[in-house]
Amino acid sequence: MTPRKDLLDIQSLTDEELEFILSNAVPFKNLFKRSVKKVPTLKGRTVLTLFYEPSTRTRSSFEIAASRLSADVTNFSVSTSSVVKGESVLDTVATLEAMRTDYVVVRHSMSGIPNLIAKHTNASVINAGDGFHAHPTQGLLDVFTLREVFGGDVRGARVAFIGDIQHSRVARSTNLLCRRMGMQTAMLAPGSLIPRELPQEIAVFQDWKELYAWKPDVIYLLRVQTERQNVPFFPSIGEYHRLFGLTDERLKWARDNGIWVMHPGPVNRGVELTDSVMEYERSLIDQQVENGIAVRMSVLYWLKPGSTVEDKP
Amino acid sequence: MKRLFKGGEIATEDSPKLTRADVLVEDGKIVQVAPGITAGEGTEVVDCTGKVILPALFDVHVHAREPGQEQKENIFTCSEAAINGGVVGFVMMPNTAPAIDTAGVVKTVLESARKCRIPLYTTGAITKGREGKELAAIGAMKAAGVVMITDDGYPVSNPVVLRRAMEYAKNFDLILASHCETMELSGKGSMHEGKVSYSLGLEGIPAISEEICLDRDIRIAQYTGAHVHIQHVTTARGMNTIRRFKEEGVKVTCEIAPHHLIFNHEDIRDYDTSYKMNPPLRTPEDNALLLQGLIDGVFDVIATDHAPHTEFEKKNDFQSAPFGITGLETALPCLYDRFMSKGVFGWDVIVKRYSAEPRRIIKLPPVPVVEGGVAEFIVFDPNGSTTFTKEFMKSKSSNTPFLNQTLKGSVDVVVLKDEVLLNR
Repeated sequence: MTPRKDLLDIQSLTDEELEFILSNAVPFKNLFKRSVKKVPTLKGRTVLTLFYEPSTRTRSSFEIAASRLSADVTNFSVSTSSVVKGESVLDTVATLEAMRTDYVVVRHSMSGIPNLIAKHTNASVINAGDGFHAHPTQGLLDVFTLREVFGGDVRGARVAFIGDIQHSRVARSTNLLCRRMGMQTAMLAPGSLIPRELPQEIAVFQDWKELYAWKPDVIYLLRVQTERQNVPFFPSIGEYHRLFGLTDERLKWARDNGIWVMHPGPVNRGVELTDSVMEYERSLIDQQVENGIAVRMSVLYWLKPGSTVEDKP
Repeated sequence: MKRLFKGGEIATEDSPKLTRADVLVEDGKIVQVAPGITAGEGTEVVDCTGKVILPALFDVHVHAREPGQEQKENIFTCSEAAINGGVVGFVMMPNTAPAIDTAGVVKTVLESARKCRIPLYTTGAITKGREGKELAAIGAMKAAGVVMITDDGYPVSNPVVLRRAMEYAKNFDLILASHCETMELSGKGSMHEGKVSYSLGLEGIPAISEEICLDRDIRIAQYTGAHVHIQHVTTARGMNTIRRFKEEGVKVTCEIAPHHLIFNHEDIRDYDTSYKMNPPLRTPEDNALLLQGLIDGVFDVIATDHAPHTEFEKKNDFQSAPFGITGLETALPCLYDRFMSKGVFGWDVIVKRYSAEPRRIIKLPPVPVVEGGVAEFIVFDPNGSTTFTKEFMKSKSSNTPFLNQTLKGSVDVVVLKDEVLLNR
């Protein structure tokens, strides 16, 4: 396996790398059952989180993953209140370069910023979500979770994504990875949130009835963006919830049919789902959070920062 | 002063066939075009063996960035870039800072142009500040010398304003050049809306943004009887609309940029900003159909939309980087490399679409290489090659996908009257 510096998207992962990350996440997750959850793998290395978009969950997940590998973790404070352009990001990256950081975990509201950073630093860049583009560790943790659910063999499993497909980096990364692992995928959303030119093999449904008929194994709920350029995508939140949300009635259908429910978090009650989903026995939401740490540990373990290449004994 | 260009083959707009002939120039005029001319005493001989002699190129769509954006380019560096590409004369766009929207700015720009070695022309804005609201001083700018009016970079979004502008422009026999874009549909898009924009997670500029505005602008031209020139067409549907209206006799002309023939959205890999321009690169299908349109004669002219930006500006992320690529220096070699060297079209297309017709659009006479004609031609070496390094390029900016690439063909000599502007 060729050493890899950055994790920017799902597409660039080889099958071998994918398997490496997913299989190594298993022993990392087993650590969590112990009282001492820490291993010395990244002792002496620095992991820096650079979040230009507010996120408590993903940042904490990376921080915990890094500290369980014994790395030193620093949060580099940047503005999350306004959009910071690439040129200013690069100024910050020059600073990080001088600090000789080994790993930079980046989140930004504009697509391609992690790619830009990766070209200008020796540190390993991990994309923790950029614009509508990619969220590779989310995709990995989702597929890891599905493997646990389906006992290792996910081929043929049917996953339906419901919500803002157009603006979701999660839909892009998780969907790509699901299909690559041999799963069938489908989409349900208002037409205004379905991108043009989706690959033909992805089924697109108009309503829940069509979705029921497809007999999904998993439904994956996404958060929704209500408007852009002051033009709403659908008439109201209430109508969205009624037509596309996981309501109590639909949750009953899910329960009756043994369907799993996933969500990347944080959830919006009364929008994409109803309160009672949180107590649903086949909700995978908490399992996704736990697996996120294991998978991110595995990613940190796998990547090879440019700075380490020069290491001499 | 006598110069003999010996051993070359002459290209014309009428035939793809080249004619073997020597060209004798005296006091800036072509005095003889014939095979086997012998050089008299004191005649300088320029060896053109194996090379093509063609009328000098002319570009109706250039951003020289003066006044106000001289970090990107100025009129002089832009004119030198043009010479480097065999372009002897161009028309400047008004999206400067301030915009070219008064007779005063027009005069300043033309004053700078006089310091250049080639003739330059300018457009003026249609509306004040290119804001699409109030008409700019069109009459005064015409008197000061503008050859076209346009708000290039922006459309005139309000159809009432556009209608008035077209009606008014007719008084001055001015062509109105149209940047076709429906701003609301383009939104914050930075590339063509399609499968690549979805995959890269970038907001898209849908083809209909251009096509709707193009259709509207030509209809208003038809209604008012004005001459509209559609700039940088990028979609096959838009092209077909133009074709249909031309058949109806509407006064509409249009242009195609080399990059819209050569590149498409699939070239935008890893957010490379040297493929970011507006209108954006469309699909491979559009490439093929637009190319056929050029061969069929739907496009009146080839124009580069030369749009220099600094390295710093283009080093930004894809959404924040400015739209535009340079084109004056690469146009002929890239068209030769990608199409002519493969026999896709002949020299007549270049001479007609990138030399004769562009001049006719702004009512200048074409400059064929014929006896009695003015000496305004270039010598192109089809067996040579050009590597577009920063050092090679005379533009202040080097934002082109061809940076550090080698293309077949080389502009070796550029002649304007008695002067040899370039001799590699």
